[in-house]
Amino acid sequence: MSKDIKEEKKEKEDPIIEFRHVTKTYKLYKNDKKRLMAVFNKRIKYIPKKAIDDLSFKINRGEAVAFLGKNGAGKSTLLKIVTGVTYPTSGEVIVNGRVSALLELTAGFDMEMTGRENIYLKGQIMGIRDQEIHELEQTIVDFADIGEYIDQPVRSYSSGMKARLGFAININTHPEILIIDEALSVGDKAFRNKCVTKVNEIMFSGDVTLLFVTHSTSMALDFCKRGILLKNGALVYDSDIESTVELYESAIEVKSKEKKENA
Amino acid sequence: MELKNLIKDHIVWRHQIFKLAKSDLIKTYSGAALGWAWAIIKPAVTIFVYWFAFSIGLRQRAGIEGFPFFLWLIAGIISWFYIQEMLTQGTNSMRKYKHLITKMKFPVGTIPTFVSMSKLVVHLVLLLIVFVIYIAFGEPLTIYYLQLPIYMLLMFLFCTGWTLFGSVLAAISRDFSNLVKSCTTALFWLSGIMWPVTKIHSHIGRMILKANPITFTVEGYRNCFVHHVWIWQEPKELLVYLCELVIMWILALWVFKKLKKDMPDVL
Repeated sequence: MSKDIKEEKKEKEDPIIEFRHVTKTYKLYKNDKKRLMAVFNKRIKYIPKKAIDDLSFKINRGEAVAFLGKNGAGKSTLLKIVTGVTYPTSGEVIVNGRVSALLELTAGFDMEMTGRENIYLKGQIMGIRDQEIHELEQTIVDFADIGEYIDQPVRSYSSGMKARLGFAININTHPEILIIDEALSVGDKAFRNKCVTKVNEIMFSGDVTLLFVTHSTSMALDFCKRGILLKNGALVYDSDIESTVELYESAIEVKSKEKKENA
Repeated sequence: MELKNLIKDHIVWRHQIFKLAKSDLIKTYSGAALGWAWAIIKPAVTIFVYWFAFSIGLRQRAGIEGFPFFLWLIAGIISWFYIQEMLTQGTNSMRKYKHLITKMKFPVGTIPTFVSMSKLVVHLVLLLIVFVIYIAFGEPLTIYYLQLPIYMLLMFLFCTGWTLFGSVLAAISRDFSNLVKSCTTALFWLSGIMWPVTKIHSHIGRMILKANPITFTVEGYRNCFVHHVWIWQEPKELLVYLCELVIMWILALWVFKKLKKDMPDVL
């Protein structure tokens, strides 16, 4: 296996993320009690649910990739595995870089603390020195542009505000791999444009790799150059973004037509 | 192996652990108008209620082991306050900090540690108050106070191990946290916090009680304040406690290793 890695590194392309036959199975138990009992007793039954099924792909440094697919296609699970939050059941995942993720709308905020405190907390957890966070603070606050709410507890935020702050923190803390999961769909048009500009800016200037999950194909076209289409946890199509979007949209149309005809 | 990883995580993330302990402490008390005062008011009320019920209501005899009941009580009960926090909030710590587990890459095994550290600060404040009360009552400063840090460290290690064990199970299933909650009151009354262990006449009963790690801790604090006994003068109790400590950590590491990867999927 290690030989393979060495050979790949010699090649011109520079994979920052690589999935090798990754499978993720969730264990569904009947209830919490069964789950607790399963810790001590292996015979407790559960329903295995495959969220990701034998998935393999490579993403190179500097690429911007959109993941498309229906709800439950495994997009969010995939991003969680890249982030290192959840673990694959089998297969191998290689990630060579600091991941900055916006998972399921929030960036892991502490709901009881204010936005400003969360900037510091998030920065500290990412291992940034206080001095540096202090310098970044104003940039982040300006970018988020949520006014006086910055000194209010995050639990009082609307989902749009959370996404704004989360995005502002993630994009201003020099990420190597930026993961955005649906987060921008709650923002308004002006903020979206701001994000597009900023993402393009950091993508242009640095070696940032972007992984993007959305149901809005127009946003995928704005941000990304490559598209990966997932269905039931497996890779269906992997090509440039335009053709992937086309395929995805036609798949949806066929589905809705079939439904109409059946009805 | 698992222990090695856990220690490595603690060393690599030490700055973050201290920061998170600080923020946990601030968060616990910042929401209320009286803020920090609650850290003292709550135990003060509890102590007053027990003192009132036992000294005034039940007319307990003048004192225990030559000490006024009030002084005897506070010496032991402050360690219980810490243990209680660890039993209730500690067990809930993985759920409370689930944003660290499900939303970012964070060494999950350090969560019980910083929660435990934050509770220990409150404990230190209470301990300081107990010192002041003892001095105010005219008790002389003794050399036995010097062994307090040892008992505190033992308590901290045991409770942190427990919290790792309990919080992982509580993350997997709410049944477990309910189980712990319902046992807390029972543990309080059974652990020799409100009455001296020597009151039990049955030899076996006393042995069982002394094997209880909570009793060991409470008695340890009283060894410093009340009995004036050195920790090595009760080697049997110490040995039993150390064995329990090791077993607790083996259990905790076993559960943690087994369920670490399941936690983000369940929470």
